[in-house]
Amino acid sequence: MTTAKLVMKQVTKTYGDGDSTLSVLNKLDFQVNEGEFVAVLGPSGSGKSTFLSTAGALLSPTNGEILIDGESIADKNKAELTEFRLHKIGFMFQNAQLLPYLKVEEQLLFVAKIAKLSSSESKKRSAYLLKRLGIWERRNHYPEKLSGGEKQRVAIARAWMNNPAILFADEPTASLDFKRGKEVVQMLADEVKREGKAAVMVTHDERMLEWCDRVLYLQDGILLER
Amino acid sequence: MFLAMRELRHSKARYALIMVIMLLVSFLVLFVTGLAKGLAYANISAIENMPTNYYVVQGDAEHKFRRSQLNDSNLKDVRAIVGNENATPLSMQMSTITATDLDVKADVTFFAVDMAGPIAPKVVQGAEISNDTVGSVIVDRKLEESGIKIGSVISDQQTGMTLKVAGFVEDNSYSHTPVVYINAHDWQELTTGVSQKGATDHPASFNLIAVHATSDQATSLQEGLKGVDVITQKEAIASIPGYSEEQGSLLMMIAFLFVISAVVLAVFFYVITIQKTSQFGILKAMGTKTSYLAWSVLGQVLLLSVSSLVVSLLMIGGMKMILPESMPFQLNTPTLILTSSLFVGMSLIGSLISVLKVAKVDALEAIGRVGA
Ligand SMILES: Nc1ncnc2c1ncn2[C@@H]1O[C@H](COP(=O)(O)OP(=O)(O)O)[C@@H](O)[C@H]1O
Ligand SMILES: [Mg+2]
Repeated sequence: MTTAKLVMKQVTKTYGDGDSTLSVLNKLDFQVNEGEFVAVLGPSGSGKSTFLSTAGALLSPTNGEILIDGESIADKNKAELTEFRLHKIGFMFQNAQLLPYLKVEEQLLFVAKIAKLSSSESKKRSAYLLKRLGIWERRNHYPEKLSGGEKQRVAIARAWMNNPAILFADEPTASLDFKRGKEVVQMLADEVKREGKAAVMVTHDERMLEWCDRVLYLQDGILLER
Repeated sequence: MFLAMRELRHSKARYALIMVIMLLVSFLVLFVTGLAKGLAYANISAIENMPTNYYVVQGDAEHKFRRSQLNDSNLKDVRAIVGNENATPLSMQMSTITATDLDVKADVTFFAVDMAGPIAPKVVQGAEISNDTVGSVIVDRKLEESGIKIGSVISDQQTGMTLKVAGFVEDNSYSHTPVVYINAHDWQELTTGVSQKGATDHPASFNLIAVHATSDQATSLQEGLKGVDVITQKEAIASIPGYSEEQGSLLMMIAFLFVISAVVLAVFFYVITIQKTSQFGILKAMGTKTSYLAWSVLGQVLLLSVSSLVVSLLMIGGMKMILPESMPFQLNTPTLILTSSLFVGMSLIGSLISVLKVAKVDALEAIGRVGA
């Protein structure tokens, strides 16, 4: 039996009020199962960011239900959502978005610390992740000393640090060249399989889809297979 | 403090700069405060150190000691209410003295008091004088700096009357001049030029009556006596010529320095916070609580203000040691604690707009952003 890490049922997101409303998501249905790596494609303005923010518990939907790791996020307040994201969701952002004043290892230790992991446990896990992603030698470097690809690898490690149920990646290859971008996506796919988790990657780059289990297109507010 | 400390470590120069500014401002705050206290003390220590807590002055004297004139019948009325030993007359006169064999000219204030009464001078060196003594005075130790010693003979410039210094008192200044304590007998001669026979404990007319009274007694004094004002020690000090103006302008400087430190800090941290808006969005998206981020900002401000304060306290301590004796500078522990906590408090107030800004950042800003 496969378990669903993310379920979205009839999700609608409408911006604006009164006479000028814009429905960016329109009764969208979506499910991601354990071990699955799904890519969501769409041109600029199609609503990819809105989709990712809604699925990632950053933006509440106008209508519909969202379950992450079997738990509904509908009734949670802002503080509960923050806590929920900390433990259940990993994020990868465009340009990695590492904190400039933390060394590579500290980027990971910080998220473990706010999740109240013990320091010996978090040291072990960060060493494990950094070694596997091939940036262990860079652990005492600041982000400014890393290449774009290395930064995204740290971002992958940081996103997995707290053992989230699902990872959301917002155009992780946008600032990388083709070769580095492919490497990063491959690593992301490997991690999903190895950790037995799930990931959703939003991108507009059609060349990055080689390792994805499914590819969906965001069109008119819903996700379509093509 | 995980983030706060590491950010300080990473941007040393930036934070060192603001620390230097805070250091200079807090040093200046402490210095001017010490100066204000020192000047105040040099101005009014003779009144401040009196054990009496109320002063009876003539009604139309506008609380000014030297303008006031009272007589025996006033004294009798006052004593009837507070008791004989709790009310004593005080006469004062500003003058200039010279010392024989010394190239000295100093402005002083003569205080004529009952040498057996509650405000008699407390001699720290030399001999006391009594109401029977003739031609001797007790002077404030500050005159020692001009070379006056016990046994020196000083003379009043106006009358030429000579007086021998019998002993020293400490911390007895009035209106920035050292106080010279004189008994009623010599006062009579000094002011009228006539030497009376026999001892008396007070002259026939005097400036004010120093009273040790409860607040109830003070009320009945004010209500029972016609043509006099009963003022507290605080009011008496405030009406010493120049005191309020001097303290007022120094206080204004101190207040401005506090405001400056708060504003400088506010602007500095606000600019840094604005620069980091997207970082805060990312942190919140990853699940960092707003309270954690707010404490991070407050922690940095606290760390910077407290550490610059500690350094400036050390600098003040060092400077106090090399300041000349004559420099009016005084910083006692309660003042230090008050000033320091005000400084830290103002810093925290200054950081509040940054904290509000941090609280307002939406986690949503993390997604769909191309810029850093
Ligand atoms: N906060 C908002 N308020 C109103 N309209 C918005 C808001 N955010 C996005 N939109 C609109 O929704 C549509 C989808 O935006 P977005 O999700 O950013 O798409 P993408 O990430 O694919 O470029 C766009 O037309 C955009 O103008
Ligand atoms: Mg977008």
